Amino acid sequence: MSVGHIARAFEEAGISTVALTAMPFHHVPERMKPPRVLITPHISGRTISAPGDVARQREVLLAAFKLLEEATEGATLRTMDAKYQPGPAG
Amino acid sequence: MAEPEVQPKTQAELETFREFKASFYYGSRTDLLFKWLERLPDDQGAEFLAGVLRLLDGAIDNGDVGLLLEHIYEWNVRAYRPHLDHHEFHWFYDDSPFTPMAKPLAESRLALFTSSGHFVEGDDPEPFGIKNMTQEEALGRIKDFGKGEPQLSTIPSDTPVEKLVVRHAGYDIRAAQKDANTVFPIERLREFQQEGVIGELAPNAYSFVGATSQIRLKKKFGPEWAQMLKDQAVDAVLLVPV
Repeated sequence: MSVGHIARAFEEAGISTVALTAMPFHHVPERMKPPRVLITPHISGRTISAPGDVARQREVLLAAFKLLEEATEGATLRTMDAKYQPGPAG
Repeated sequence: MAEPEVQPKTQAELETFREFKASFYYGSRTDLLFKWLERLPDDQGAEFLAGVLRLLDGAIDNGDVGLLLEHIYEWNVRAYRPHLDHHEFHWFYDDSPFTPMAKPLAESRLALFTSSGHFVEGDDPEPFGIKNMTQEEALGRIKDFGKGEPQLSTIPSDTPVEKLVVRHAGYDIRAAQKDANTVFPIERLREFQQEGVIGELAPNAYSFVGATSQIRLKKKFGPEWAQMLKDQAVDAVLLVPV
């Protein structure tokens, strides 16, 4: 919810935003309608990835950047086409 | 030797399944990774736990936890479905503000802004005036956090991750403690800047504890922080909730 308020405030002030949301909370941006939201296939508390998963971190951020540049209207929600994966062992 | 006699529990000592589920939500077994157990009706909670035990069979025999992880993920998603939401949700909007990117990201100044509760070592925001608050202490004050004003921590974008501290009573911070980039991806953003994906990172990243007064965030702090970023000529913001 907090990031939903922030996204709306920043966008109203003229700053473009893209927010991430982990799948368990996808209903929050659906209701709050921030401008651009990338929904990630991760569990709560691990919005971007499991610890140490650099490849997934890069994948998520690049997908977020793509959304930032491609969206043409508000309330653009995009779900990543990926599955949850644990990070490397150790 | 005779077995010691086990005294039967009294009615007052017996824990119901509902109480057991709730114990993970700021109770006797607090574990924020599974705080959502208390949202599940008893029959669904039982179904989840039975599934965990059933899927441990594979993990025990060959170390394969894939199906177990899928099960936990699916139930984490299921637990937060709105029809199970007994915490009132007030924030419904019909409109959506939109500012198109004025230029490509590769020419833009990007700032990182998270609700993950990160700050730089030595720059503790000292919530409620308390010095060196531990995560355990924060958990005990979750309701105070929810009613209070957010405190924004400024984190120079070149801060080594070893110098970051995370404290937040609203989510399981263990992954963030092992790797800040799980919710505060500053290392990845620095790499993208070097690679030219981002024009430049703003001089500072920002983080606050998202468990805070939503009214004050919406009406006061959101607009104030927006002006702060405009004054810094920030073109775009990556927002990461937890």
